Amino acid sequence: MSAKRAAICAVAQLPFEKAIWHKRIQEMCFDVVEPVLEQTGVKFCKKPGDGGIRSIVTVSDDVFDARTISNNAIQDAVGAHNRGEDKVAMDGINAIAYAVSCILSGHDDLILLVGHCKESQAESRNMCTNLAFDPFYLRPLGLDFETLNALQARDYMAKSGVTDEHLAKVVVRSRRNAAKNPVANARDEVTMEEVMNSPMAYDPLRELHIYPQSDGAIAMLIAGEDRVKEFTGKPVWVSGFGNCMDSYFPGDKDLASNFPLKKAAKLAYRMAGVTDPAKEFDFAELNDAAAYQLPMWAEGVGLCADGAGGEWIDGGGMEKMNVNPSGGMLAGNPIMLGGLARAAELVIQLRGDAGERQVAGARRGVANGTTGAAGQLQSVLVLENDRAGR
Amino acid sequence: MAANKKNRNVAIIGIGQTQYSSHREDVNQPEMINEAVKLALQDANLTKDDIDCFMHGNMELFEMVHQPDLWHVLGTGAYGCSEFRLTTGGTTGITLVCAADNLVASGMYDIVLAVGFEKLQEGHTTGGITNMADPLWGRMLQTGALTGTCAADVINEFGEDRARRAAMKHRIIMDQHASRNPNSHRSFGLEMDQLEDLMENSPRLVGDLRLIHMCSQSDGACALIFACEKKAKELSDKPVWIRDHVTTHREETLWMYPLDLSQKEEPTHRKAPRELFERNGIDKPVEYFDVFEMYDPSSWWGMDWIREFFLLEGDEHIRMVENEDIRIEGKMPICPSGGVVSANPIGATAMVRVAEAALQIRGDAGGHQVPGDVNHALASGFGGTLWTILVMLEKELDWE
Amino acid sequence: MAEYFGTTVEDIFRTQDSRFRPEGAEGVDVVVAYNISGAGGGRWKLTVKDGASKTEKLKDDDFGGFTAKMSADAETFVGVAVGQLDGAAMFTSGKLKGEGDMSVLMKLPMMFTKYMPPKKGITAADILATAVERFRPDMAGDLDITVGYKLSGEGGGEWTAVIKDGKCALEEGLRDGLTVTNIASASDYVDLMLGKLDPLVAIGAGRLQLKGDMETAQKLPKLFSKFIPPEASSGPELIVLKKTISVDMKYSTGRMMGKFLKGLKEKKILANKCPECGRRQVPPREICAACVCRAEEFVEVGPEGVITMIEYVYYASPDPLTGETRETPYGVAIILLDGCEGNETMWHLLKSDELDSFKRGDRIRPVWAEERTGNLFDIKYFEKVR
Repeated sequence: MSAKRAAICAVAQLPFEKAIWHKRIQEMCFDVVEPVLEQTGVKFCKKPGDGGIRSIVTVSDDVFDARTISNNAIQDAVGAHNRGEDKVAMDGINAIAYAVSCILSGHDDLILLVGHCKESQAESRNMCTNLAFDPFYLRPLGLDFETLNALQARDYMAKSGVTDEHLAKVVVRSRRNAAKNPVANARDEVTMEEVMNSPMAYDPLRELHIYPQSDGAIAMLIAGEDRVKEFTGKPVWVSGFGNCMDSYFPGDKDLASNFPLKKAAKLAYRMAGVTDPAKEFDFAELNDAAAYQLPMWAEGVGLCADGAGGEWIDGGGMEKMNVNPSGGMLAGNPIMLGGLARAAELVIQLRGDAGERQVAGARRGVANGTTGAAGQLQSVLVLENDRAGR
Repeated sequence: MAANKKNRNVAIIGIGQTQYSSHREDVNQPEMINEAVKLALQDANLTKDDIDCFMHGNMELFEMVHQPDLWHVLGTGAYGCSEFRLTTGGTTGITLVCAADNLVASGMYDIVLAVGFEKLQEGHTTGGITNMADPLWGRMLQTGALTGTCAADVINEFGEDRARRAAMKHRIIMDQHASRNPNSHRSFGLEMDQLEDLMENSPRLVGDLRLIHMCSQSDGACALIFACEKKAKELSDKPVWIRDHVTTHREETLWMYPLDLSQKEEPTHRKAPRELFERNGIDKPVEYFDVFEMYDPSSWWGMDWIREFFLLEGDEHIRMVENEDIRIEGKMPICPSGGVVSANPIGATAMVRVAEAALQIRGDAGGHQVPGDVNHALASGFGGTLWTILVMLEKELDWE
Repeated sequence: MAEYFGTTVEDIFRTQDSRFRPEGAEGVDVVVAYNISGAGGGRWKLTVKDGASKTEKLKDDDFGGFTAKMSADAETFVGVAVGQLDGAAMFTSGKLKGEGDMSVLMKLPMMFTKYMPPKKGITAADILATAVERFRPDMAGDLDITVGYKLSGEGGGEWTAVIKDGKCALEEGLRDGLTVTNIASASDYVDLMLGKLDPLVAIGAGRLQLKGDMETAQKLPKLFSKFIPPEASSGPELIVLKKTISVDMKYSTGRMMGKFLKGLKEKKILANKCPECGRRQVPPREICAACVCRAEEFVEVGPEGVITMIEYVYYASPDPLTGETRETPYGVAIILLDGCEGNETMWHLLKSDELDSFKRGDRIRPVWAEERTGNLFDIKYFEKVR
């Protein structure tokens, strides 16, 4: 009989740093696999049916690793030798959904999920993301994820009354929260003045508006309902997921519309039975690769009225809704892991393990992850603990 | 992946393949993908609005496009829809099949369209594969997927003449299969009387692996549409059911080779089928299956792995080749499509194995259709450092 | 002369030197022998050296020394040269054969532009008929000249272009007292006008003769806009964008590989050992894949060992370090170093000038580089222990 629902039983993150130059990606991966094994007592499968981990889902990217079949490099470190492994080559939040599908399908009852990315390895992450564009038109124009984000920022800020000052508030608050998050990369507090005087990178985005270069790794153990108790007393249930792909050419779409995020959220909320996101979530983790994305994604997932991002920040929306207690992606997670790190924070909060940044009484949270520039592929995940009452 | 009873059954209800070719300058990447997507939708009599989730897979460094699904949305049709991208090396196409089976069986999506592709002409294939090796060590030593190890092993076990003849016979049979498959990238019109000439004169690549033995570098795309049991029965006259699948990987090393060959590690090509057949109660796979679409990267591997995949012993596999049992009209038809040696758009290649096996079950393989009933089909994928994925397909929903 | 796909073997070799690209042959010093069988075949020899190419037809079977040799029947050779047959497929099926240093044959497409057969249907008369409309009065100014065309062979004839008062008129036949006369075969003239034959090469080879006022002759090309064959203006615009993508990378060694590479600097080969199964790994990896645990203990192994497998590589793949095509053949050995057992083998190169003498089970030892920097090639290669 296959499981009807699945839970995240453990999570481990390698503290995110500007450059983990002293480790190969293999060791970065094992550094997060090991604590998951320790926390749960789970073993790797030695023979079929022994209850150990038989299937692994990984997250990484060939261009960033500069390796064809980037997952090939880490088979030993994620325990895939003589076992099965699938690589999800998109933001890792999607890998959680895929892992859950492996379990709900009945093929598996246990999945080890391991994601890694080392932005510092390449001369420039922008040179890598430039390669995401077609070689004929947008690539030679010099677009990368940050420049296209800046185009979206301009559109969005005009639409939602978000100003340079609002963006500074987002950054200042991110750093303040990150100071309480031991795995965050950018943990030094900054002032409004420092942000507003930070050099313009891609107008209207300033250097401090953009997440810092980051390296890191994340692992999780996900189990079917009937096996959860073997590994944890504090399961975090995956109750909703949806993702949605936008079109490619920036000229083909309204960059400020939030279309893919709204659709992804709709799919996730339908699965999770959420009807009023502004009321039903105790907190949220939004994948703000640039500061404007925090209010924009807040609108997209329904924490804030459409087009009201500026007012929402002024009215203390970020605090009231407990958005990004981790510091968000602005505090530094690598590409590929932005959404997965958001989900990791949801798990930590829902387990009550967040220490001084703990959201009191957290029962249900929402996270998003983005793949590509300007949120071209948006993914929304709803997680909850046993106190959510289902 | 692993093993339990499925939550719900899943069938393949749409199949689309482009013509495989050495060069497709007439289309860009999303356009080529779109050809396969459109053919699969036509085959299933669906439109893109019927699809709940799209899947995309290939290897980024072959074409040097980062996160290519973002650009390729122009061809996949995923705009406004759910999408997953999974890649695992040469296995990518069949990983997509297993993953689509998981996504549909889980209840998360009712209808999924997966497309695998590669435009190998746009990069350097052997260079691209060499880049899989560790940058500090193996990258300076590896030559893509080219290796003479398999040939050396077969020669060691069966003697030079028998081994070389069998490998070349396998190659010629595959070429003759390819000549009956209009999508195939290449068929040279090889005849059995060329066997000795080719054994002597085909240029050597590595050791006893000759150019004629090795798979091609192709451009092309393959798309499949998967549906849950309820939708499959509503929408399709000839659903092909996915019974089970298994994925077995191994570590990164390619250089483990003992002096005493009895100490050789058991390959995933034997471990994976054993696990799959045991849990499905299949004692004699060579009798159970009506057709096998194998991912045969070279004729040496293609011939050698018959023994492993069917859990045979001794020289049974060589005899199958010598007796021509592997022909389309033979006792155990292998790769009626012509196999990977005849067409290899890498990100699609392993999905093509499943697509071709499914066409055989449907009876829709045209000139390369296996005669008689095809009820049980096996498809394999190969990738990474000798990884194996197997997918079992069935005509009827009647297994235990 | 036997034609295949409308072209003779002779056509291809005759134009070969004019299609030479010095930029594609930098530092190349090779002799390529061609043995083309069947009707219209023969033997040719190509010498590329010091940025120049020389193609000669041989009278006998003696090629002398060559770096690489290509053999094919005439139909296959022409088919590949004109793009009607897939070279890789012909090579694979054995219809096109190579011998010697195969990397040279793979470089040939870089050294020569592709042979373009003259477009059938385009005759010298067709081209000259468009001369009036291609005439550029802005470039002609007040020139008052007569230009003769004396074109021999099939499709040939005699014409005179009369340029006066900013106008151009074409007449059949040659006027007397021509300012300049062009003398060529009609087919060379067509090739010249289609850009397939370099005028300087044609003049140098005596295939285009210019008689009369040389100063005027030099002005002629500017007086007419380029002839564009009618087919070229229709049909799809298919462009292949060529681009080399390069992003510099900084690969970390980590502790295990770092210690191993430092060991090489000191002429030591270090393996790490799994605390659970005892397996040794060369080069060391952080994790034992079999036990999924850290392996932190180092043991020195080798430096001598035994060959367990040799990969003789004949395929000229690009060296990932330099992008240069590797010289073939070369040998990569799988080596069981002293102190290792079973599958605990490693990879390295074998000494290239002894390649034929190595066999499985041979004892070998590393040859260390004089200057060692902590990388794979601190061991240059392995050689036989004598």
